[in-house]
Amino acid sequence: MSSNLDLKGRLSFLNLGELLQLIGSSGATGTLKIISDFTTAPGVIFIENGNAVNASMANLSGLEALFGLFGWSEGWFEFSLGPVNCVKTINKGRMEIILDALRLLDEGKIEKLRPAAGAIIEAPAAPTAKTPPRRADLSPLIKGPLVDYAYVVDEESFYDGDEIVREGAHGDWIWVILEGAAEIIKTTPSGPLRLMKVGDGAFLGSVAALLSGDNVRGATVVASGNIQLGMLNSQQLTAEIASLPNEFKGLIKSLDNRLHFVTHIVTETHVHNGSFLKLIQDKKLALKEGQNEDRLFQIREGEVVVARNTESGYLPLAHLQKGDFFGNIPFLTLGHEPHAAAVFSSGDLKLAVVDTVALQGAQQRLSPTLRHIIEHLAACISATTLVAINLFNKSGLSRERRIQDGNATL
Amino acid sequence: MAVVNLKKRQIECKIVYYGPARCGKTTNLEYIHKTFTQNVRGEMISIDTEGDRTLFFDFLPLEIGQLKGCDVRVQLYTVPGQMRYASTRKLVLRGADGVVFVADSLEVRREQNMLALKDLQQNLRDFNLNIFKIPLVMQFNKRDLEDAGIPLMSLEQMESELNRQLKVPAVPAAALKGTGVGKALQECLRLVLRSLQQELNF
Repeated sequence: MSSNLDLKGRLSFLNLGELLQLIGSSGATGTLKIISDFTTAPGVIFIENGNAVNASMANLSGLEALFGLFGWSEGWFEFSLGPVNCVKTINKGRMEIILDALRLLDEGKIEKLRPAAGAIIEAPAAPTAKTPPRRADLSPLIKGPLVDYAYVVDEESFYDGDEIVREGAHGDWIWVILEGAAEIIKTTPSGPLRLMKVGDGAFLGSVAALLSGDNVRGATVVASGNIQLGMLNSQQLTAEIASLPNEFKGLIKSLDNRLHFVTHIVTETHVHNGSFLKLIQDKKLALKEGQNEDRLFQIREGEVVVARNTESGYLPLAHLQKGDFFGNIPFLTLGHEPHAAAVFSSGDLKLAVVDTVALQGAQQRLSPTLRHIIEHLAACISATTLVAINLFNKSGLSRERRIQDGNATL
Repeated sequence: MAVVNLKKRQIECKIVYYGPARCGKTTNLEYIHKTFTQNVRGEMISIDTEGDRTLFFDFLPLEIGQLKGCDVRVQLYTVPGQMRYASTRKLVLRGADGVVFVADSLEVRREQNMLALKDLQQNLRDFNLNIFKIPLVMQFNKRDLEDAGIPLMSLEQMESELNRQLKVPAVPAAALKGTGVGKALQECLRLVLRSLQQELNF
């Protein structure tokens, strides 16, 4: 190895195109060596005043060799300054070479140097975040991705304080917020409860309404500041949903049930009714919180309660019955099981393992809008879960429950 | 990110023309290369990528003078939109300092514009760039075709469908005739320089 090394590094960090630009902009003269584990002889590029003048790779030389080296995506480079003594065979400009080489690479005309068969393939990193970030704020603001205007059929504006949707009213329109924010409010026996605030890109309305025709609004939505809404093409959405595989439809329905249940927990906690805590009592632990489980199950018989172990004990987050799904949904984060909640099951539980590959395939084929709606549903579940946990911890319900239970056994 | 070359006392930055296929990115660059000859340095490099050409040349915006004693040198690029040109796109978009999004005014291209814009957002995100933060200018191209009786989208419609959330400067243009080409570039340069000044604390 030459002693006067001036620049050395990994090609996965700085690829050949970037490297040639870097050396080019410094106008340096020297030799650039490309070393790969998959071949014995290094490739060499001779550079004069920042421009490649010749190259060699295996038995090739000149431009052909230089192009070939673009296929070495993994490996090392070493650059040493110093005069080069070689014939100038490359006369093309630097950027032209780079752009042309990358085009050839993309078109598959440059062979990519790859490890031989049987090499270790790195597993994709598992999601590390066990729980979504917890916020002290009781009303989180949920935003969505950029709006896909292809689905917007009409626009509506509302002023600050206007009621957009009323809980209990009928309607199955789904809106997307183009600009502004709105508050989701749930009616409880002890007055209205602000659940959360949603902003640009968030959806108003339930996708399950399109699925089942059950079109009663589950909460009131009030404009928070002036707001612009885009009405989504429900015919197009309904048609798309209708064409989904049955399991996917079931999953959407099941997710909607979860959102309803966890919202129910929030309102019950708010009015200090802890009767939902009984749900876990007659059930046994089937899946521990954080347990490694990458399967997804559909319930055929029996029932399941998903619960988070909070500082005040287990809080039920979902009550699932026949047809519902639980386990690991590979493309959604709910903040529930298996990473962030445990599963309790009834004695008569019968399950079917769901083919997640097929499910994921269906998810990939969704239109961007429907995919965003489903992701938004998951985000709402996760946010409402946090609201429920915060309220529950403050409520002291579990302590009262324990005292009651204590009295009962005495 | 702009590169400060202390040896040549130059700040090199990169402006990328992005947009759906055949929206007029290439026409923009060809017009600039042909018209602003005193600013153009070197030849225009043209790579034939399928469906679209990839163009590149250096541009010296002389009128903006120097920043801290350094000349500003701008590299202008177009990007091949097709999926398969991932490496080319990566090289071009990596470290982009500014983007001119060329949208096609033809009514039949409405959806392509939206898809390209979404694509741009995704591609930028892959390089840790944020479409809301990067200096970005919209150009609504092919306005001249209205005279030929071809149905175009109104400027208001394009503005609300493409630019409502982004709220960036938008320039109506007819790149073949050169209308709006200089203005879009100038606007983008202005934004790039402003963000450079902030970034480099000039």
